Amino acid sequence: MAHVIRSICIVGGGTAGWLTAGIIAARHRSEDGHGIRIKLIESDTIGTIGVGEGTWPTMRTTLKRMGISETDFFRECNTSFKQGAKFARWVTGDPADFYYHPLVLPEGFPSLDLASAWMEYSEQRQGAPSFSNAVSYQEALCELGLAPKLITSPEYAGIANYAYHLDAGRFVSFIRDHCVNRLGVDHVVDDVTRVIRSETGDIAYLETSKSGQLDGDLFIDCSGFRSLLLGETMGVPFVDCSDVLFIDRALAVQVPYDAEDSDIVPHTVSTAQKHGWIWDIGLQSRRGVGYVFSSSHTTADAALDELQAYVGEKHRALQPREIKIHAGHRRTFWQGNCVAVGLAGGFLEPLEASALVLIELSAEMIGAMMPATRETMDIIAKRFNETTQYRWDRIIDFLKLHYILSKREDSRFWIDNRAPASIPDSLKEQIELWRYRAPGDQDFTSNNEMFPAASYQYVLFGMGFRMDTSEREPNRHARAVEQAFARNESLKAKWTKTLPNNRHLISKIREFGLQRI
Amino acid sequence: MHLVELSRAEHSGLKINPALAEASAARQHLIPVVASEFRKAATQYPLVFAKNPETGRFACFVLNGLEPEENLFWSGTKMDVAYLPLNIRRRPFFVGTADPASGANDNVLCIDIESPCLTAAGQKSIVDADGSDSQYLREILAIVGELVDGQKRTSSLIDTVLSLDLLSPIVLDIVLEDGKSLYVEGLYSIDENRFRSLDKDKVGMLWDEGLMDLVYSVIISTGQIYNLIRLRNERESLNRAWRNNEK
Repeated sequence: MAHVIRSICIVGGGTAGWLTAGIIAARHRSEDGHGIRIKLIESDTIGTIGVGEGTWPTMRTTLKRMGISETDFFRECNTSFKQGAKFARWVTGDPADFYYHPLVLPEGFPSLDLASAWMEYSEQRQGAPSFSNAVSYQEALCELGLAPKLITSPEYAGIANYAYHLDAGRFVSFIRDHCVNRLGVDHVVDDVTRVIRSETGDIAYLETSKSGQLDGDLFIDCSGFRSLLLGETMGVPFVDCSDVLFIDRALAVQVPYDAEDSDIVPHTVSTAQKHGWIWDIGLQSRRGVGYVFSSSHTTADAALDELQAYVGEKHRALQPREIKIHAGHRRTFWQGNCVAVGLAGGFLEPLEASALVLIELSAEMIGAMMPATRETMDIIAKRFNETTQYRWDRIIDFLKLHYILSKREDSRFWIDNRAPASIPDSLKEQIELWRYRAPGDQDFTSNNEMFPAASYQYVLFGMGFRMDTSEREPNRHARAVEQAFARNESLKAKWTKTLPNNRHLISKIREFGLQRI
Repeated sequence: MHLVELSRAEHSGLKINPALAEASAARQHLIPVVASEFRKAATQYPLVFAKNPETGRFACFVLNGLEPEENLFWSGTKMDVAYLPLNIRRRPFFVGTADPASGANDNVLCIDIESPCLTAAGQKSIVDADGSDSQYLREILAIVGELVDGQKRTSSLIDTVLSLDLLSPIVLDIVLEDGKSLYVEGLYSIDENRFRSLDKDKVGMLWDEGLMDLVYSVIISTGQIYNLIRLRNERESLNRAWRNNEK
């Protein structure tokens, strides 16, 4: 008889565990008792890492589908708006050197190729606007500290595309309460003492300290770096990526604002340093700042000095927390009846906020592909592994792109990052193509792409990558291109005048709430 | 606009022309209304829900025009309507809160001492010769009283239709007779299909809370949008005729 999948057991109560529980429970209507039962076991002795204070715009859909109010999310999670990232000092290291990777796509994208037009234009003229400024109005919003929407905009709807910055600790409790109270997820607070496997190699059940045996048809490993089920129990090896991405340490601090009403920067700021880069994320009540660096290129003490120099006076009162990062992922992500989500599956430096989005995508995929029976699970596992491997590869390519385009010469860290042996072949091939034409959808043909071609355009042309446009056919869409540039300018004029200050809008959301419609 | 608390002593000499209050709505496309006015208003205007631009919260309005600042009922001298909303009739008076800092909810009557209604030629005063409240002031107090009382039921309607998920955006995508197209956003109404598919308990609740006639008033009044389109077409054709004459 077929072994029907009726219950899921999630191990680990960090962001990965609770987000996965919520996403699958919302899709499979666990709360009314007819769908798949989900239980989550979390230890009250093991802390959470709480990485990932930056999200992608996907988080809006994720939360909405889970039935969460965006107003509550702003009130409970110290949440603020994120309209992309500003990369400072990545190209030359000069204090004035910066570019944006905004979330609004280039005007007319993907049907119009503004990138080539901008390239030609900027070669002909001195003082041409930066790429992102020429094709999108969002950089202007960010530079002015404006919010991406109005108090009259419905929940989750934006005028400019946006994501969030959030307090990871509060986010976990917020999602947990929702999962337990609204979505019918069973919450077990206990420690797993042993993982018992059946003769087929599947996980049969978990032994716990107080709650006896916990079984499940599918086990989801959200146990963090430890990878208790997939790594330790199933023995799936770790694929190290530190030959491509050198960052292996983080020093994180929480920096208070000068005043209660200090401006909240509406984007992530990533400032390149001598041996890595510093993230700077503005929440409602504090900033989250951290230096990620390569311990084979510098020492923790030297890194601390750089972090202190960045934070300034306030640094004295702060206690930096050191986190070890292992760049890489498991060789497979789903084996037998066990699938890993979050750090248990792997981790990369937070340069493009890929941690939370990978959790969302993995949980969505597990929920959508949910095998009906154990017998069909291996087919799903194979597909899940192919897609997830593809996603990791694309993220690694995209992160590496930021390093190979840098012209910094001030340390071995930057020079080594450009060594051809450290660059994946897939990225080398793309770069070859892009020397003659801009990244487009034709370069990214999977249904499971991570970054749109637009993101590559923003980073490439933001970092001064030059395309040889001399052999190009004459542009047949010159008029449409001109109109698109003009449209961007008029959107910029309109929204920089209309959109409110970021802090002001967030205060209003706290006070009045956003309407659902 | 300059609001001050009304003082029967200090403002006894003011001369007021209430007819000029209508002129202050000449460029207002939305006028707030309270629940007690819905039936009367529905005979004349579309009743709509819209968000306060400062707070994002919903309020109820009558719609006067198809674009911001358009009032198609304004004839040039008066509002050509069978029913004039309380929020026009109360002018130049306003309801204020006694001391916002104290958090107390005591309403006080205020007057806009910069209102065009205050004019030496005005026929109305707030007090009679003997110092007692004039008939005019008593009418104003009644209007203001109805607005304050009506606010509660209006809020209750808004909370209820939101909690029942009955509100949905109305998008007016209108092509006028001369081919010009208008696109009106930011207005909401009660979604008739969703209202009709409510289960019996919810319908019973609307009935018990005395909100049913308000819901029907809103739904029926939506048809008045055709009247606005008619008025707009008339106005455009008058404008065309005027321009042709000038040539």
